[in-house]
Amino acid sequence: MSAQFEFAAAPKARTPYFVVSPRRVLSEILSKGWVESTVPFVAFLCVIFGVGLTSHGYFTIDNLRNLALYGSDGGLVVLALFVVVAAGGIDLSVGSNFAMSAFAALYCFHVLNLPVPIVLAASLASGAAVGVVNGALAGLAGCGALLTTLGTMITVRGVYTLASQGQLVAISSSARTDEVWDWIGSERVLGVPVNFWALILVAVAVLVMFRQSRFGWHVLAVGGNRKAARHGGIRVKATIFLAYTLGGVIVGLAGFLYAARENAVASDTGVGMEFFALTALVVGLGGFVPGRGSTVAVLIGFATIYILNNALLNAGLRGDFVQLAMGAILIVILSIDTKFRKHKHRLLASTYVDPVAFEVDAVAGAKGLLPGEIAAKLAGADILAAGLIDGPEDVILDADDHLFCGTRDGRLVRIAAPGYDEVETFAQIGGRPLGLALDREGRILVCVAGMGLVRVDRQRQVELLTDQTQRSLFTIQDDTTIRMADDLDVAPDGTIYFSDATKRYDIESWGLDLLEGRPNGRLLSWDPKTRKTRTVCDNLVFPNGVCLTHDGRHLLVASTWTCSLLIFDLADMRAGPRVFVHGLPGYPDNVNRASDGGYWIALAGMRNPVTDLAMRFPGVRRRMTRAVAPTHWLFGNLNIGGVLKIDAAGRVVDAYWDEPGGPLYMITSMREHKGALYLGGVTNNKIGRIRLAAADPSWTGPASYWGKAER
Amino acid sequence: MTDATANAAVPMGRKARRSLLEPIVLGVALALIVLFSTTIPGFASLGNLSVILSNSTSLVILACGMAVVVISRGLDLSQIAAMVAGATTFSTLINAGLPAAAALALAVLAMALIGFVNGWLIAFVEIPAMLATLATAMFMTGLFRFGVLRGDYLLILPKSNPAVVFFKSDLLPGLTAPVALMIVALVVTGLVLRFSTTGRIIYGMGDNFQAARLSGLPVRNTIVFVYVYSALAALLAGLVIASASGTVDFRIVTNGSLLFEVILVVVLGGIPLRGGRGGVRNLLVGAALIAVLRNGMTLYDFSTQTQDMLKGVILMAAIFVDNYLNPRDAETDTAGDL
Repeated sequence: MSAQFEFAAAPKARTPYFVVSPRRVLSEILSKGWVESTVPFVAFLCVIFGVGLTSHGYFTIDNLRNLALYGSDGGLVVLALFVVVAAGGIDLSVGSNFAMSAFAALYCFHVLNLPVPIVLAASLASGAAVGVVNGALAGLAGCGALLTTLGTMITVRGVYTLASQGQLVAISSSARTDEVWDWIGSERVLGVPVNFWALILVAVAVLVMFRQSRFGWHVLAVGGNRKAARHGGIRVKATIFLAYTLGGVIVGLAGFLYAARENAVASDTGVGMEFFALTALVVGLGGFVPGRGSTVAVLIGFATIYILNNALLNAGLRGDFVQLAMGAILIVILSIDTKFRKHKHRLLASTYVDPVAFEVDAVAGAKGLLPGEIAAKLAGADILAAGLIDGPEDVILDADDHLFCGTRDGRLVRIAAPGYDEVETFAQIGGRPLGLALDREGRILVCVAGMGLVRVDRQRQVELLTDQTQRSLFTIQDDTTIRMADDLDVAPDGTIYFSDATKRYDIESWGLDLLEGRPNGRLLSWDPKTRKTRTVCDNLVFPNGVCLTHDGRHLLVASTWTCSLLIFDLADMRAGPRVFVHGLPGYPDNVNRASDGGYWIALAGMRNPVTDLAMRFPGVRRRMTRAVAPTHWLFGNLNIGGVLKIDAAGRVVDAYWDEPGGPLYMITSMREHKGALYLGGVTNNKIGRIRLAAADPSWTGPASYWGKAER
Repeated sequence: MTDATANAAVPMGRKARRSLLEPIVLGVALALIVLFSTTIPGFASLGNLSVILSNSTSLVILACGMAVVVISRGLDLSQIAAMVAGATTFSTLINAGLPAAAALALAVLAMALIGFVNGWLIAFVEIPAMLATLATAMFMTGLFRFGVLRGDYLLILPKSNPAVVFFKSDLLPGLTAPVALMIVALVVTGLVLRFSTTGRIIYGMGDNFQAARLSGLPVRNTIVFVYVYSALAALLAGLVIASASGTVDFRIVTNGSLLFEVILVVVLGGIPLRGGRGGVRNLLVGAALIAVLRNGMTLYDFSTQTQDMLKGVILMAAIFVDNYLNPRDAETDTAGDL
């Protein structure tokens, strides 16, 4: 063929350096995991500023030390409740348990005159005992946690009052002093009260437990979804039991520290503590959230409530007002949290699709070849492997004439020549295999949506070559993962060029990318020598088929939604793409070489004037995705499509259309091989074949790329 | 098929799934009566019976409200706070010289508002019932102590006020006003549960909330109704308690033991906490046990703490047995289902 293409003469294709959209920023922030943790942090800052502004000299070293000294046991109780709540329970008995443990410590120290380590052990045991009862009833027996712990709360309070009434005099009249006891109660290490060190230690232990330990993960799993945890083989009941017991032990430690500091208990010790701890926890977690192990957030919540509480009392407000304030805070945070949690995904869904005005070039260059103007040649295609495969997005034939294609269930299958009626699984890959290519050694390279770039050698060994690229600048969402690897080709030097069609949608929702009409895709390369992945060109509009030109110097990339073909210069990829063909009558998918020096372009569907018009009005599309059921969306015409033949200069020279009635639908790929064209379609369950009268009957793809003498 | 479904939908007509707890508790109560009659002189007298009756009026009235909430698969932990708040509102108003009827009307409005807020938070904001009522209990107690009592725990009622006198008086010979009010509360609760459309919806919600919602029943409004009902029951109980003692004492909120007894009455009577089952008869059985137990323990001269302790143990045993007799479906319960 005589036609030649002048790269330098083609118009440059516009690819933006970055995409700015407030809606996208919002939706990407919303989809971040840390969004919910901002609530306690903001509350904390508000309280700090509020207190700092209204009371003079609050944040002095002395006062902070005081706060640390008196706050530690409260902090421990919050952590105890946190452990229980993380496992999906609740513990109202922490206040009574706290008083009981403090009493146990005082009794052992002042009345029984036991050494301090044993006193500590007694406190912990007292706390653990209540935890064991709670755990046995709420965990092992599966009773309702709230009522069970309400029961232990009342019972333990009764026991505590009975026991302490008899011993108060003996405790308060005891003159025993002990160095270790006093050191624990009131000394400082490195300027920080011993009490507070205990809180720090426990907090770190809990943090490590939830992050690193098997038990911690089990607790979070059980709290997150009990059924799933059970089905995952976690011993749910034992885990809940242990969580309550651990909570009890931590409360026991808090009681011990309190006893060492105060040397006294009163009838109202620990009364209302469960409400305080619950409020702190709800503020910290931004709601009542089982199965979340964010220790730091809980500590921030505790600090917020503790400082607020303390500052309100300092300001001369009475306990009843503090109670009122705490109740109000609890209600407000619970309300915000429940509503936010419920509507977050809706907000996300309604902001995620972010259409932009988008002009598609008018249909050009295919006059006289459009559907209806010529016969639908694909209606008479031979059908191969009908019903034996599912979704061959791409097809390829090797030097021995065997046919390969990917299937929807993640396999690469081989359909043996010459009958092409037996299908065998060549390799189990997983993901959704799409584009295929053969390298110099005859290995099959596969683009797998949801995975990345995969290589299958002749021994059927599957190797994942890459699944990530560099992160692009100015993005909130981490886009290092290759989301929808679509098609590829191999340059003469072995570098693999492949397209990542969209960074924002998974393969099931590729249609939304059309409605968005933004440049969400990118062209990537993988270098076999360095095994490095590089983003060659970012911000392309749905880059789909990739094909090396016959001379091996340029690379064709189909840009589906712009209905055009871009061309890159392999010698200077940085210069960006130029437009090779524009104004196609349909949406181009894969592009492959033809035996006469031209190229085949699969058109998955046809443009229609309504969709083209809608592309110019982003508001219409956005409202449509929100208000109209997906089955009624305006979309391209997928009932008809086919294959276009272009020459080396990009002029359309022939067209093979399918018919709405089949037998082939939505052609996404075609390969010429020995005078026939093999056709694959992403939704087909068969492969089509038509004879090409004018084609070179000996031409094959592998020979065209790597020469006939190979292998 | 249609017959079977129709039968299953009638909450009172069930036979196979009747609570086993009820006969057990009834047996225990009878055994206790026999035990106390033989060991405590004067227990089985008519005088003691009327003491038991009048001592348990407020408890039964509260339990009426709680039962309705529990049957709808909710829980009202703010009931005692509402009771005290209601009594405070009423007392403050008559102390301020308002006629009793006006004070009562305002107190009813205030309590309906409190119940509405509870119900609204649960039905429309969708906060889990336990957390919502826990929070409103805190808020309400704080609000009334701060705003009305100015930090005090106690509010003294004028004993000579005709309204106060009415709540202590005998309506008929042998029938005191509190007992009459208790009977009224029981009858109204029974009628609402058994014969009203709302009652049917309450059973439906308790049995299967999602099914009730998806079949188009007005579940949200019913939730609001249930909590308003509970708050009004609390007001009635508050008036009875306050008139009897001449004071409104906020400490019964903080020590939690009355709330506990109310739940005890409901659970012991055989109304499962999962909701959907039970009725006024269960309430009576539960109340009988608690009243007899309370009376007996007092006659034995047990201290309040010992009584609390014993009742705590009994509640835990009851929860355990209830759980055993009405087990949760392990496949459908999720975390947060407290």
